[in-house]
Amino acid sequence: MDERFSGFGAFILYTITAGMMLFILAPLLLVMAVSVSDSYFVTFPPQGFTLKWYAKVLQDRDFLEAMRLSILLALGTTAGSLLFGVPAAFALVRGRFFGLAAIKGFLLSPLIFPALVTGLALLQVLTKLGSQDARLNLLIGHVVVTSPYVIRTVVTSLQLVDENLEDAARTLGANRLTTFWRVTLPQIASGVAAGGLFAFMVSFDNYPVTMWLANSEYSPVPLVLMRQLVNVFDPSVPAMSTIIILMAMVGVLLLEKLVGLRRALAA
Amino acid sequence: MTTSNDAVAVLGVQAPPATRGAPRWRLALPVGLLAVPMLAFLTYFFFYPALGLLLSSIQTQDSRGIIGRPFTLAHYARLINVELYARVLWTTLRISIITSVLATVLAYPVALVMVKSRPMVTRIITLIVIAPLIVSVVVRGYGWQLVLQNGPKGMLNWILMTLHIVDAPISVLYTEAAVVIGSLHVFFPMMVLPLASALGKIDPNLEDAARMLGAPWWKVFLRVTLPLSMPGFVAGFTLVFSLTAGSFVIPAILGGASAVMLGNLIEQQIFVVYDWPFGAAIAVVLVGLVLAVNGVSMWLLEGRRLRRPE
Repeated sequence: MDERFSGFGAFILYTITAGMMLFILAPLLLVMAVSVSDSYFVTFPPQGFTLKWYAKVLQDRDFLEAMRLSILLALGTTAGSLLFGVPAAFALVRGRFFGLAAIKGFLLSPLIFPALVTGLALLQVLTKLGSQDARLNLLIGHVVVTSPYVIRTVVTSLQLVDENLEDAARTLGANRLTTFWRVTLPQIASGVAAGGLFAFMVSFDNYPVTMWLANSEYSPVPLVLMRQLVNVFDPSVPAMSTIIILMAMVGVLLLEKLVGLRRALAA
Repeated sequence: MTTSNDAVAVLGVQAPPATRGAPRWRLALPVGLLAVPMLAFLTYFFFYPALGLLLSSIQTQDSRGIIGRPFTLAHYARLINVELYARVLWTTLRISIITSVLATVLAYPVALVMVKSRPMVTRIITLIVIAPLIVSVVVRGYGWQLVLQNGPKGMLNWILMTLHIVDAPISVLYTEAAVVIGSLHVFFPMMVLPLASALGKIDPNLEDAARMLGAPWWKVFLRVTLPLSMPGFVAGFTLVFSLTAGSFVIPAILGGASAVMLGNLIEQQIFVVYDWPFGAAIAVVLVGLVLAVNGVSMWLLEGRRLRRPE
């Protein structure tokens, strides 16, 4: 394929790569295949073709409730993490103050902290505070784990902003707010969008924080799916999973369109 | 700003009012303050709770469930001395190390192909590697449950038996191997992406030079590519290890009772046994493990031992 790889080395490289691609796709494709299987139990190979499991899922009140909650929670989380994260990113890139590196490390530390422990610690504090509303608790927990993603992507795009353009705008008489809206924001828009999209997707899929803060009344999609795995054995579980896989694919394509995948993730 | 002010001075006109009163130092103060809401939020909902958990782990819980004095290290001793719990700690370490090593070995070829192929191939591989990252871990765990299903109805067993590789179905589900496979699937992108980014920064001339001087492909890899990609490897290994050690969903779905990890033990102590101090102590051990690995990795990356290829 490429002149750089040749002979036996190339053969090994391409074989392992192809094998890994298969390894990555196999379980997802199997889930999709089984979701249209016309049998009452999940078996391999799948039999026949039917969409009845999708019909069942789309009438399942628990699943629809969970979907609604998860989408609202993810939207709220996105708004919250942008509201806190974008100004913080500005401070980190533009600020010149003592302890900048330490503060940056602190703001990004939820990324290396096991999320499971973040959730547990938060549960303890929220219980002590007497905060009973699971929706509010989930929102707080999700903003904690998603805001570092926003900070990271916005910091990266802010570092690429040409400050001379801002100086030019200010010299021409624009005030700071106008300069931000008309000059700075358009330049970091893709970073903000990528951060927001990350926040949405991380929140939507989050399990390790969610498992502590949800209750029986307010259970987001991952928890409901986990419960179904244990209790239901017909292909409605793969149908639910396929819906989630398809939603993720839309997210990936959006991200690719907005910023380019490699750039978004390398940030 | 200086240049425009100089121009203003030379031309002898008044600078516009917006710029006149705003030298750099006045900008610097409010910009730093923009971090305050985020700092306050994380201090209250992340840092303070983490300290609270640390405190609970050395306190005692009375019969009414109230946590307080006396201070004790008994919970930590219990984790290490009771064989049942110590085994969970070792299982977690073993699964995390095996997963990270496997991920490294398998990610190198993928990252190499990803970086050095034609743009079309690179794009497809990137998409396949990244796409599952955004699919819920529960869904991916479920996918592997279907693939590894014990008995003849599982996909793996069906394939193996149809090809007559085995005569009777093998049992992979609910073993440590299943957890390693699932973790590898979930965290593989975390290894490929930093590796690909490090490999992409290597000057291709260096490899060409080695090749022209007569080095065979494996020697070029071992002596040039591998050492220069170390920062990517260290970053990827740290990520995969930390995330695997802290996982809950994959061992819960694929490991069953035979591969319980620290995360599952914590959940059990809190939700089933209601033993908060012990649960907190396990959590602190998990955090310590992850922070230690991250510390070593930071030391390796920032010290003189590994220089980032620019």
